[in-house]
Amino acid sequence: MSLLKTPAAWPTILLEHAPTGEEPFAGLRRAVRELGPAGTIAEVAASGLRGRGGGGYPTGEKWRAAAAAATVPGAKTPAVVVNAYGADPTSLTDRTLVAENATAVVEGAAIAAWAIGAEEAVIAVRTGETAAIAALEAAIAAAHAAGVLGLDPAGIASLAGHRPGSARRLEIEVRTVQGAYMLGEETVLIKALEGKRGQPEQRPPHPTEDGLWGAPTVVQNAQTAAAVAWILRHSAEGFRSVGTAEEPGTILVDVRGPAGAGVAEVPFGTTLRDIVKLVGGAGAAHQVKAVLVGGPSGGILPADQLSTPYTYQALRAAGAHVGSGSIVIADERACVVDLARLLTRFCADEACGKTIPCRIGTRRLAEIGERLSAGTSRARDLDLLVDLADDIIGSALCDHERLATLPLTSGLRYFRPELDAHLERGECPAGVCHPIALAGAAPAAPATTTTSAA
Amino acid sequence: MTDLIVRPETPESRPDTPAVRGTVAPLEDSVAERFITTQAPQRPQSSPRIRIEVDGRVVEGFEGQTILEVCRDNGIEIPTLCYEPKLPGFGACRMCVVEVEGEGHPPISCSRQAEAGMKVQTQTDEVRRLRRTNLELIFSDHNAYCLPPCQNKCPSHIDIPGFLKQNAEGNFRESARIFKRTIPFPSVLGRVCPAPCEEHCRRDEVDEAIAIRDSHRYAGDQVIKAMLDDDVDPPLPFERSAPTGRRVAVIGSGPAGMAAAYYLLINGHEVTVFERDPAPGGMLRYGIPQYRLPKVEVLEAEYESVARLGGVVVCNQALGVDFTLDDLQFQGFDAVLIAIGCYDTNKLGVPGEDAAECLDGLEYLRTATLGLPYPGHAGKRVVVIGGGFTSMDCSRTSIRQGAAEVTLVYRRDMKDMPAANEVHEAIEEGVTAIFQAGPVRVLTDDQGKVTGVEFIRMQLGEPDASGRRRPEPAPGTEFTIACDRVLLAIGQGPELDWIGPGSEGPKATRNRRLQADAVTFETGRPGVFATGDVRVGAATVVQAIAEGRRSAYAVDAYLKGHDLAAIKTRQTLAEPDPIFLSIVPFTAEVKEPRYRLKALEAEERRDSYVEYEFPYSVEEIVAESTRCLQCTCEAIGYCDLRRLGIEYGTTLTTLEPRPNQGAGLRSVNENRFTGVNHDYVRDDSHAFILREPARCIDCGRCANVCAEVVGAACYDFMRIGFDTLVTTPLDMSLNDTPCVSCGRCAETCPTGALMPKPRVLQKYEVDESRCILCGICVDACPYDALRDGGEFELAHTSRAEPMIDLMALAEVDRETEVTYIRKERDWLQRAIDGGRYVEGSRVLKVLPARLSPGSANGGGAGDGSHAHLE
Repeated sequence: MSLLKTPAAWPTILLEHAPTGEEPFAGLRRAVRELGPAGTIAEVAASGLRGRGGGGYPTGEKWRAAAAAATVPGAKTPAVVVNAYGADPTSLTDRTLVAENATAVVEGAAIAAWAIGAEEAVIAVRTGETAAIAALEAAIAAAHAAGVLGLDPAGIASLAGHRPGSARRLEIEVRTVQGAYMLGEETVLIKALEGKRGQPEQRPPHPTEDGLWGAPTVVQNAQTAAAVAWILRHSAEGFRSVGTAEEPGTILVDVRGPAGAGVAEVPFGTTLRDIVKLVGGAGAAHQVKAVLVGGPSGGILPADQLSTPYTYQALRAAGAHVGSGSIVIADERACVVDLARLLTRFCADEACGKTIPCRIGTRRLAEIGERLSAGTSRARDLDLLVDLADDIIGSALCDHERLATLPLTSGLRYFRPELDAHLERGECPAGVCHPIALAGAAPAAPATTTTSAA
Repeated sequence: MTDLIVRPETPESRPDTPAVRGTVAPLEDSVAERFITTQAPQRPQSSPRIRIEVDGRVVEGFEGQTILEVCRDNGIEIPTLCYEPKLPGFGACRMCVVEVEGEGHPPISCSRQAEAGMKVQTQTDEVRRLRRTNLELIFSDHNAYCLPPCQNKCPSHIDIPGFLKQNAEGNFRESARIFKRTIPFPSVLGRVCPAPCEEHCRRDEVDEAIAIRDSHRYAGDQVIKAMLDDDVDPPLPFERSAPTGRRVAVIGSGPAGMAAAYYLLINGHEVTVFERDPAPGGMLRYGIPQYRLPKVEVLEAEYESVARLGGVVVCNQALGVDFTLDDLQFQGFDAVLIAIGCYDTNKLGVPGEDAAECLDGLEYLRTATLGLPYPGHAGKRVVVIGGGFTSMDCSRTSIRQGAAEVTLVYRRDMKDMPAANEVHEAIEEGVTAIFQAGPVRVLTDDQGKVTGVEFIRMQLGEPDASGRRRPEPAPGTEFTIACDRVLLAIGQGPELDWIGPGSEGPKATRNRRLQADAVTFETGRPGVFATGDVRVGAATVVQAIAEGRRSAYAVDAYLKGHDLAAIKTRQTLAEPDPIFLSIVPFTAEVKEPRYRLKALEAEERRDSYVEYEFPYSVEEIVAESTRCLQCTCEAIGYCDLRRLGIEYGTTLTTLEPRPNQGAGLRSVNENRFTGVNHDYVRDDSHAFILREPARCIDCGRCANVCAEVVGAACYDFMRIGFDTLVTTPLDMSLNDTPCVSCGRCAETCPTGALMPKPRVLQKYEVDESRCILCGICVDACPYDALRDGGEFELAHTSRAEPMIDLMALAEVDRETEVTYIRKERDWLQRAIDGGRYVEGSRVLKVLPARLSPGSANGGGAGDGSHAHLE
C-alpha cells in the first residue's frame, strides 16, 4: 500500500520519525523522568487525544479509569493491549503505520503501560503480517538496547523521588492473533488473546475494570499509541494545534477509488472532498456518486455530503463513522442497493453468532437488501428495514451489530429514489442489479473496488 | 413479611435517602432479614444491602448482584432465554433488556450490576418491543414444531400422542384420564367423531394414519367396563376442587352442556342440568342412531361420570315452557349456561315442501334412533336431501327400517360433503347417492301425496367463504326422482323463541344464533352464558364438547369473581395455538398398516341396530397405538421460547388465519422476518441425551454449563455468522466428546434442543454374562440409578472417589447442585400447583350417584319410554 502525497500544510504526527541524533525514545524518557504516571496521564488528557480505533473515546480518561481500577483492593496488575490487527479488510492504515513507524507504536505502548502501572503491554498483530511482526520485534529490541524496556526501564529506580509501587519492569510482547472482522471489537480481541471463544462481552464492566485475564486493561489502537509517543516527545499544546478544537490531531485514512488508492495521514476536520482528492476523486471520466466511509459497516454518503469534515461527531451525524479509516469512492457505475446488500451480508457473515439480533437480525437485514436487489421485495420491506435496524441497535451487545445497520439505513436516507426504482419499477438505474429477471443470472460486478475487497 | 421489604413508592421511601434508613432500621434484626438471608444464600451475608426501585416498587438486594438477580429474589420476572443461574450473565438472548432511568440505551439486566437508587422499568413499551423483535427473529430461524398436527387439528386439542403412548404401554385407564383433560367422553367420541385428527396424521407419510378415534374408544370402553363390572369410578383428569357453594344451571344435556357440567363439577361448583326431553343426551340420544352410538351401554355409561361427580339432571324441563331465565336466577343459581343446541331444521324454500310426507329429518331420527320403526316407513321410496351427518343417519336408518329404496341427494361434490367418510358405508348398505343436484320442487298428486322430487344439476363455481366451490344450477338439466317420502336434512338452527318475558337479555345474531362472546361466552344478560351449537350453529360433537369445556372455564372464572375482560387473554394462553411446520418425513420407519376395526358385513347390518363395528382386541390396540410416531415436541409445556412467544404474541398474531389469506401462515418460522432458515438433523446417538439442533436457539447455556460447571466442554459455538450453531465439534456424536452423561445441558436448555431420554433409561438392560462388575456405570450415573442394584455389589470399591476428574475440577456448589432433571420436577410441581395433576391415592372418592329422580322416568331410554310420540 502506497502512502499518498498529502498537501504540505498537513502536519505529520503519526508517521513522524524521531530525528536522527536525538536520544531515542525521548517521549518515554520524558514520561518517566519528568512527568511521572499521573503527569503522563494528565499530559495525554490535556492533548485531547481520542482513541483512533473507531470509537473516539478520550484516551486520557480511559487511562485514568484503568489506573483508578488498579488501586481497588484485590485488583490485578493492569495491562495494556495495542490493537495493530487491522480487522477491516478494506483498510490498511494500521498495517501501514506499523510498517512505517513501528518505533512510535512500541514507544506509545510502553508509555501507556508505564502511566497506568502495567508491567506488560501486548501488541496484537495479524498472524500473516510477517513484515509488521519483524518491524515491531526490531523496535522492541531497539528499546531494550536503549534501556527503556526490561527491568528498571529508563532508569526509574535511580530517579530521585521514585515512588514504590510504580512499575519497575516493563515488557512489550508481540502477539499474533488469527481470526476475523470481529477482532476490531475490544472485548473480542481480549478473548482472543486469552485463547477463548471470540465473542464480545457485555459492557459495563469495561475492560478498564475487567479486561485481559481480569486485570484493568487499556485497549488502544496502534495509531493512538503512535500519537501518544508524539505528544510526549513534543507537547500536548502542539498536538492540540492540529485538527479541530474538540478532536485534535491526525488520523490515517485508507482511500480507494477508481483512479487510485493509498493511505494518507490527514488532520481531523479535513473535508471528505479534500480526502477524496488525494486519489483523484472518481477520475476524469467519471463523477463521484457516493463515498463509503468507515469500512464494511460504514455509511454510504452521497456526493453532496463531501463537505462533511472528517471528525467523529460530524460523520456520526451524517450517518457514517470513522471506523477503520476506510473511505471508498463509488462512481456513477455503482449501484447503492447492490453496494449496501454486499456490505450488510459481509457484516452478517462475519458476526460471531452470540446474540440473536446480530446473528439473525443482521442476516435478515441483508436479506431485505438482497430482495431489493433481486426485485423480490415484499410489501413494507422498507418499513421493516427501518424497524429492524432500530431494534437491532436497541438491543445490541457490541458495535458490530449496531454499525451493520449503517449501509442500508444510510442508503435509504440518501438514495431513496434509487431504492424506489428497484422497489417500484424493478429497475436498477446503474444497471448493476437485475431486479426482475434474476433467475440464474449472476449480477454483474459493480464498478468499484469495493466488491472485491468486501 | 414481604411488606417489610417492598414499599410503595413514596417520597420518603426512595432508596438510600436518610429517611428510609431511619424507617427501616429494625430490618437488621427482623423477620424480614432472616427471610432475605435464608432465601438468597448466593451472596455472602456480609455484602451490604442496596435498594433499587423496580416498576415503582422498592426492592432490596445485595451489592454485587445484577438487576436480574435482585428482581428474581423479589419475585419480579424478567424474561430471559440464556441466563443460567449458576453462571455470570452471558447476554446472548437480549431478552432481559430493561430500562434504567437516566440511561439512553437500555442495558440487559443479567449483566448489569444493580446500583443503589437505580430506577428500573421492566415492562415498558420500548423493551417489550425489543423482546418481541428478538422472539420473531428466533422464530424466523426455528425450523421445529410444538404441537403435532393431529392435536393441532382437533377442535379440543386432545393430547393425542400422550394417550396413544399410554395405550401402547397398556395403561388404558391413564390413557382415558389424559383424554378426559379435554374431553370427558372418550367412548362417545370414539364412535361419533369425524376424526379431523386422522386426516393430518403424519404416519400417513409412512403408510396409513393412526386409528386415533378407535384407540380412545377402546380406552374409554375399558373405563366403562371397570365402572359397570367392578364399580370403579372413572378416572378424573384433575384433582377436584373443594366445594365452592356456587350453583350453576346448565340448560341442555347434549355434549356441550354435559361437558361444561363435568368441568364445572370438577371445579367444585354444584351443577343442575335441565333437559326438555325425557332422557339426557340431546343430539347424542335423539340425533345419532343406535347402531352408531349405543344409548345404554355407552352414552348413559359415560354420562354417569357426571352423575358420580354429583351432577343432577332434571328431565322434562324445557326453557321457555317450564321455566324462564328469571326463574332460574330467582332460584339462586349463580350462573346459567344455555346449551340447547340446534333443533330447528332449515327449510328448502322450494314449492311443495309443506306436503305431509316431506319430513323434518331430525323429527324422523328422534323416533328412529331409539330403534323404533317410524310409522309407515317400511316399503317406501325415500329421498334424503342434504350432505351432513343428519342426512347420513336418515339414509342409513331408512335402510334399516325397510325402505324400498333410499336416494341421497347432495348439491355439492362428494369430497365437499361434511360426512364424506361415512358415505361409503351408506352406499355399501344400499343407499343411492347423487351429487351436485339441488331440489327445484317437491311433486305432489291431487291428494297432496308426495310423488317425487324435481332436481336440477349443479355445476361448481368459485370457492365460497367455506373454501368449497359454490354450486350453481345448470339450466336445462332438471330431472325427477320418484318417491313417497322426503327427509330434509339440510342443516339446523337453534330454537330461540323462548327469548322474551322472563328470559330477556340474550339476543339472536343476524344469522339466527344466540349471541355470546367467543371467549367469555357471556350473553347480553349478566350471569347467563351460552355455548355449543346454540352459539355457533350445528357443528360436530367434538366441537360442541370443546365449546362446553371452554365455557366451563369461563363460567368458573365468573363465579370466582375474576375479571371476564381479562379472561380473553388468559383463554388465549390456555388454548394451544396452531403451531407446526414442515416436518421431515419418516422414511426409515418400518411400514405397518393400520389395524382396522372389524365390522359386520353390509348385508347383515342393513337390518340391525346393533353397533356394527367390533372393538379391538388388546393386542390390536397396543399394536395400533404403538404405530404413533409421537410427533410432539418433548419440551412442550416447559419450553421457555414457546411460553415467551405466546406471552409476547409472536406466535399468535402471526399465525392466526387472516381474512383473504386462506388458512393463514402455516408455520412458526413464517413472520415478517421470514427468510433463509436452517434445518438440522436430529442426533439420538447418545443413550441419555437427545439432541435436536433444529430447536436450538444458540443461547449458549449448554456450552457454558458444560465447560464451566461440569468441565467437560462438549459444546461450543461453531461456525460463524448466521450459520453459528451451538453444537459439538464437527457435529460429532456426544459419545465421541468428553460427555459424562450428567444431563446438565439438557437440564439448562430452555427449549427442546437437548432433552433427557428417560424412556431409554427405563429400558436399559445389563448383559450380566459380560458384566465385569467394574462399577464404572454406577459412578458415571448422575442419577444414582444403579446404586442399589444387587448386580453391583462389588462396585462400591471405587465409589468413594469420583471416576471422572473433570467433575472434580469444576467448582460446583454442592448445596445447589441439581441431581435430578429439573424440568421433570418443575413440570410436576407446576401441574400440582395448577391443579392439573392427580395422584392416584389423592383422588377424592366420589360417592356413586344415580341419575336424579327428575330424570328417572327417562333414565332408561331405549326401553320404550317414547311417550312424546303417542
